Amino acid sequence: MSFLRFVNCTPHLTRTSRAFAANSAKLPAPSLNTIGPYLVFDRHVKTIQKDRAALRDGGERSRMVDYLRDEVADRMMERFLDIKRKFDTVLDLGSGAGHFSKLLEVDKVKKSIMLESSNALLNRDPDSEYEVEVHRIHGDEENILHSVGRGSLEAVVTCLSLHWVNDLPGALVQIREALQSDGLFLGAMFGGDTLFELRTALQLAEVEREGGISPHVSPMTDTRDVSNLLGRAGFTMLTVDIDEVKIAYPSMWELMEDLQDMGESNAVFGRRDTIQRDTLSAASAIYKELHGAEDGSIPATFQIIYLIGWKPAPTQPKPLERGAGKVNLKEVL
Amino acid sequence: MSPPAISGAKEPLRPLKRLALHTTSTCAAQATKYGKCIAASYLDVSKDMCKEEFAEFRSCVRQAMKKR
Repeated sequence: MSFLRFVNCTPHLTRTSRAFAANSAKLPAPSLNTIGPYLVFDRHVKTIQKDRAALRDGGERSRMVDYLRDEVADRMMERFLDIKRKFDTVLDLGSGAGHFSKLLEVDKVKKSIMLESSNALLNRDPDSEYEVEVHRIHGDEENILHSVGRGSLEAVVTCLSLHWVNDLPGALVQIREALQSDGLFLGAMFGGDTLFELRTALQLAEVEREGGISPHVSPMTDTRDVSNLLGRAGFTMLTVDIDEVKIAYPSMWELMEDLQDMGESNAVFGRRDTIQRDTLSAASAIYKELHGAEDGSIPATFQIIYLIGWKPAPTQPKPLERGAGKVNLKEVL
Repeated sequence: MSPPAISGAKEPLRPLKRLALHTTSTCAAQATKYGKCIAASYLDVSKDMCKEEFAEFRSCVRQAMKKR
């Protein structure tokens, strides 16, 4: 909290230029020649952003922008209910303020383990808001095997958290390892078309005003890659589907403010510390002209990829051997 | 404990809020003009392509920001 107060004391001028700028990187931007997992996101900064967002105005602002996560959690729940199985415990990976766990009902799931890297967000809402028993773990979504044992879980769910994971293939392998055999993995993550309006508006504004572009909206997973990633991580019986949530805002400024309150500010390595006021103004004008609706509002697209995968088990149904068919499809069709 | 009021009517708007207000409503006409210039050839944008339109937009915003 003390840091928040400090921010509030800074002179007005500084705040104008800094308010939508991400905090500067604690580590140098990775060189392309380094070896190791892909480092795209500064997860340390991401945690700070989420903590701050959850604490702003005593959590009021964070609750006000729950609309997106609650909507996606609701759509993910539909998919979860389609799975006719009861679970004792599920792991809600990157739970945030428990948007998905709050929807769980006791006749389906007994207990939810919430794992989240932001302590403030994890503990934002009291246990009384959950129908099922919850257990909260303050841990790293990228290293879940540090927090849970191998082969210990019946199901892992994750709702809008994987888009800040650097090593997505590695995280998926860890999820599979943490599952019991025939365990379920169900997730929702942002796909590549998310916020394309904001991305293009900022790019055009930066090119026209300053003559170059810099990362403002994260690179996101392409929908086509997701099933490959799941297959590579060793999941079977995959189901991947895409959905879109479109939200109308009065202008780009409200969108950016809400993103900030969601803890979704820019955390890409190599981002710029500040955005010039002129560039922001230009982006606002371009956004409205290029994407604006007739009623004067501007749309923001959130593309959601839902993924379902199972850890392999001998009891699972398998495709029959080639040539085992008895019915000639020519006659059927 | 009741939550603190997010923004009272008497409280002056934060600078960023004022910038948002002026870029979207006070100077909407200039903003549209600049936006149209970009939209006319957004597939091939170069630096200072819409310099004049932006200068107009910018001076309008600056004027508005000066007034309290």
